[in-house]
Amino acid sequence: MSDSIIQIENVSKRFGHVVALDNVSMNVRKGEVVVIIGPSGSGKSTLLRCINHLESVDSGRIVVDGIPLTEAKNIDKVRAEVGMVFQLFNLFPHLTALQNITLAQRVVRKRPEKQAVELAHELLGKVGIPEKANAYPAQLSGGQQQRVAIARALAMQPKIMLFDEPTSALDPEMITEVLDVMLDLAREGMTMVVVSHEMGFVRAAATRIFFMCDAHIVEETTPDGLSLATCKEERTRQFLSKILS
Amino acid sequence: MEPSLASRKKSIAGPSQEAQTPALTDGVDRWWLLLLAVVVVTWLLVRTRPDPYLRIFTFLLDGVRVTLGITVASFVFIMIAGLLGGLGRISKNPLVNGAASIYVELIRGIPLLVQLMFIYYASPIVLRGLGQRLIGVLPSVAQWLISVKINPFAAAVGGLTICYGAYMSEIVRAGIESISKGQSEAARSLGMSYFQAMRHVILPQAVRVILPPVGNEFVALLKDSSLVSVVAVADMTRRGREFMASTFLALETWLMVALLYLVMTLFFARVVAYIERKMQFVR
Ligand SMILES: Nc1ncnc2c1ncn2[C@@H]1O[C@H](COP(=O)(O)OP(=O)(O)OP(=O)(O)O)[C@@H](O)[C@H]1O
Ligand SMILES: [Mg+2]
Repeated sequence: MSDSIIQIENVSKRFGHVVALDNVSMNVRKGEVVVIIGPSGSGKSTLLRCINHLESVDSGRIVVDGIPLTEAKNIDKVRAEVGMVFQLFNLFPHLTALQNITLAQRVVRKRPEKQAVELAHELLGKVGIPEKANAYPAQLSGGQQQRVAIARALAMQPKIMLFDEPTSALDPEMITEVLDVMLDLAREGMTMVVVSHEMGFVRAAATRIFFMCDAHIVEETTPDGLSLATCKEERTRQFLSKILS
Repeated sequence: MEPSLASRKKSIAGPSQEAQTPALTDGVDRWWLLLLAVVVVTWLLVRTRPDPYLRIFTFLLDGVRVTLGITVASFVFIMIAGLLGGLGRISKNPLVNGAASIYVELIRGIPLLVQLMFIYYASPIVLRGLGQRLIGVLPSVAQWLISVKINPFAAAVGGLTICYGAYMSEIVRAGIESISKGQSEAARSLGMSYFQAMRHVILPQAVRVILPPVGNEFVALLKDSSLVSVVAVADMTRRGREFMASTFLALETWLMVALLYLVMTLFFARVVAYIERKMQFVR
């Protein structure tokens, strides 16, 4: 596929005796929003983390934007093109929201301070908390922290954004504010790979949905096909009946 | 750009927090009073009984300078050794990790006094032996090795650095390991290299964690620096011995030496506590 921006070919990964990914293949096209769902321990996070090489693969091949993830040189290059948002935000607690967003711009992208600060303010506006620039992470709510984390990733102007259960550590009333930011991104045409069980978001934004189970991708579908009736696999149906109710 | 530390703390500390940690907002740290008491006692002794206390005090002053000089100079090198040793201990490279681990384990097993003796008295013999072997190969280097004189001050700083560097390595390692893995993952996922992530994300946080034990090490080092008196360094302890040898005023001499050490250690302990409070932040 010529327009695919992420190619994952026959990737396997194990932790000791635990097989986390077993011969997994997947392609993501430019501008797609791919959602990965599946039960706990099925390998969703591991797959996501392999895409920016936070985990190394045991076998198989991953190519991101034409760059094969093999040499160390390439890895830093790919990471600067791929933004990642974590379940627990992982903001830098010793820096303000603004400094969280400017740090990598300055040390990785070598942008001048002024330019980095301008972009940071712009992004804080985009995620809806322009007034929190000088707040430390501990002074922000979970939803605000996650939005700063999204802005921090966007400041690198990535081509791809990875989200690993970005709302599962949030109180219900904060989930929408984060999902709204993600929806905006999706509408702007950002390529996204999202692990999330927020069905509202999945229906509204997903182009394709992959269902993972026991280290495999067992089914691929679209939001329209995401119902008990249309899913072929018994395991998918079981899992769906839990999260759709 | 960055708000001052004081205003930052004010804005962070909510009412509930003030109730939990009164020490934070109390202002005056009461242990300063103990230091003040020791200073007053010393001053009274010197003023009311200048003979012998003023004489002892004046005689010891040179030693105070040497003690502080050795402590501060060693501490700078100890921090560097501890940083390298600590990074080595967490390195995934087996060679680097092995070297750092052996250094830490070996050095921690040998008393400081023995290490100082070895550096000052035994290492010239080793160097001379090496020089004699090399005389045919590299005559100039060999000559230098044979004739090299160990400077007592350098030997003292070297010995303290090697010894305390091992303990500091462990403190640094524990500090770095106390920072959650998510922090380095976030930094790396933004494209930062290992060293960029260490420098901008991990170490600034680890510093706050390791500050109390590092402060303790500084005070311990100040006291242990008295051991360098055995390698011909005229520190405060050695000056005390010299004074006693010529006057036989054992009680008065060692009382004054003890008081001066106390003034220094109590003072630095307070400084460390002060910095610690200033650097606290809410997680
Ligand atoms: N660093 C690790 N060390 C050892 N085992 C690991 C590690 N990371 C993941 N695993 C194991 O690999 C398997 C897949 O884990 P992964 O985190 O990818 O699952 P997941 O689908 O994201 O689950 P969850 O929904 O709970 O986040 C699990 O069995 C997990 O225990
Ligand atoms: Mg997971």
